[in-house]
Amino acid sequence: MEFVGIAAGKVVSTSAVFLILTIVGLAVARRISTCVLLFSMQSVIITAQVAATAYLENSREAWVVAGLVFTFKVLGIPYAFFWLVERLKSPRDVKASTTPAQSVFVVVVMVFISYAAVRSYVFGIRVPEDALAAAVALILTGAFLMVSRKKALMQMLGLLVLENGIFLAALTTTFGMPLVIEMGVLFDVVVGLLLMGIFTFRIRDTFEHLDVSRLRRLRG
Amino acid sequence: MVLIWPLFIPLLGAALLLLCRDRRVADAVALAVCGVEILAIGNAVWQVHRWGSIEGRYLRADGLTSFFLVNIAFISALSLVYATGYLRHVGEGRFSSARWFYALVYLFLFTMVGVCLSANLGLLWIMMEATTLASAFLVGFYNTEGAVEAGWKYIVVCTVGIAFALFGTIVFYLAAVKGGLSHASALNWTTLLAAASQKQFDPNLVRLAFVFILVGYGTKVGFVPMHSWLPDAHAEAPTPVSAMLSAILLNCAMYALIRYEILASRAIGTEFAHTLLLFFGTFSIVVAGLLILVQRNLKRMLAYSSVEHMGIIAIGVGLGGPLGLLGALLHTFNHSTAKALLFFGAGNVRHNFGTLRMDRVRGMARSNPRTAGVLIVGGLAIVGLPPFSLFVSEFAILSEAFTQSRYLIGGVFLLVLSLVFGGFLYHLLRMICGASQETQPKPHFARAEFAVMVVAGVCLLYFGVHIPAAFSVLLREAMTVLQ
Repeated sequence: MEFVGIAAGKVVSTSAVFLILTIVGLAVARRISTCVLLFSMQSVIITAQVAATAYLENSREAWVVAGLVFTFKVLGIPYAFFWLVERLKSPRDVKASTTPAQSVFVVVVMVFISYAAVRSYVFGIRVPEDALAAAVALILTGAFLMVSRKKALMQMLGLLVLENGIFLAALTTTFGMPLVIEMGVLFDVVVGLLLMGIFTFRIRDTFEHLDVSRLRRLRG
Repeated sequence: MVLIWPLFIPLLGAALLLLCRDRRVADAVALAVCGVEILAIGNAVWQVHRWGSIEGRYLRADGLTSFFLVNIAFISALSLVYATGYLRHVGEGRFSSARWFYALVYLFLFTMVGVCLSANLGLLWIMMEATTLASAFLVGFYNTEGAVEAGWKYIVVCTVGIAFALFGTIVFYLAAVKGGLSHASALNWTTLLAAASQKQFDPNLVRLAFVFILVGYGTKVGFVPMHSWLPDAHAEAPTPVSAMLSAILLNCAMYALIRYEILASRAIGTEFAHTLLLFFGTFSIVVAGLLILVQRNLKRMLAYSSVEHMGIIAIGVGLGGPLGLLGALLHTFNHSTAKALLFFGAGNVRHNFGTLRMDRVRGMARSNPRTAGVLIVGGLAIVGLPPFSLFVSEFAILSEAFTQSRYLIGGVFLLVLSLVFGGFLYHLLRMICGASQETQPKPHFARAEFAVMVVAGVCLLYFGVHIPAAFSVLLREAMTVLQ
């Protein structure tokens, strides 16, 4: 059992590196399906973190949360995304408004900003600096994906990455919120995605494309 | 137990309404559910008045809750009665029939009542996000290009905004846990309030949390620059929904902000939260005031006016003091009434003229005198002229600003009010005066629609002259929570 404890500790401390790798991956990915896979991998890392926390803190609630995260974020939502991509029959590139090199640059700057931002707080509240910085970096990257990718599906994905970041921030600072609240939040996220999915069909049927930057009838 | 009813009656009502395939039956059921809901809210408000605040693990109610619940009951009753007349000209689509409309409206109502009754800040967030989800289809109800675009923008912008509020909630939770509260009670409002009064929280974390909360819930309130969803959603939604968005939803978001403002002020003093609220409020009224001048679409103009009035309420809360808070509370109610009246009038304009473009509507005074009358009464009320009630609340906030010698804010406030006065009346009078267009069909004005507009108009006038005793009790009890 000693070994499992050490492994759990290592998961918590090293996962930040892998998370930042997925962020860079998201910045360079050109196809929606690649991004979905990256998101799924990101969620695997987060599940591992929740599981490690659950083991170290010996908390039953956290095991339930780990199960939920795995079911929804690793399997359910990515599967739904692949189904959507298939059904919408729209071209599969993400329609980035920045080149991959620019995106990587922006993302790297964001990682720096994240470290700088959490620095003043980590000493006061005694949390692992890397994990919190990775959480903030995920939030920023999610927001960046939403504004720089024109496909409606990518906005949904950006939102998910952002939400992953917030979830991670809660996990690293307070070992997550109470289970009921955590479930409510997950429920809202899933329903929100469902509605957005329905809206993508409506957008496609009304405008015959999925490029949200071309939705600009309403202004001023 | 008292609080379960007002929360779940709308949810049951929504389920019931989905079973009503006939439009007339749906109308009747919707009104009946509304009646029952008003009774339930009335009962809850009475119990709070009688026995003081009701505390539960997830639900609670105090004077402030009562005040906002009364607002919800009043405006939703008006909107639903109006909707029974309005829905007659809505075509029957697969998801755009009367029963879907009512069911979604009740779902929306459920979430908003939930926001007001939440005892737990996590639940508050969940309910707030649910308001977006419940109303997204209502915004996109007509399924036209504009409606789909507005619906998409609404759901994306609000969900992202609200995500920041979730982050803020987590930071607040962190502050509470580090301040010695147990995990289970660290999101409970009453516990937090007690702990905040004893200065248990790390001020840095509280500040960080409040900034994120303000940005997050501020998106729903419609503060500039997070307001971009608001004019689109208000303009493209069916009229009863526009009225509910503007007159209930924005208030509920403001309610959430006020709850955090109370906590933050107790924990770190009023300075920080008030300065931020004053900044966002002033910025919002200035930008919205300027944008009102250049609008072409009637409902968009009304939407920007909502941004302006939310700014005014934020200024009232931000100034604090007895008159500022009283003015802010009174203004939430007055603005709701006036804005609902104006949106109802706008719905009627769209129905009779087939457009909301203000430059295409002329001579309404001759062709549709009743609609013109409604718009004039609503317009004069919303720009804050006496004897209408908005004058009273705006005057209270303004005098608080000058009492505290905040001349800059008072000056900007007055300047924006006069700008809006000019802009609003210019746009309205151009539609009302002039020769009427050549071939006007007989003006349409359903009896139900007219009845609610009369109620709203009389209410505006009456509250401007005299605040009824029961209402002032309600106000006083809400004020005790705020101070």
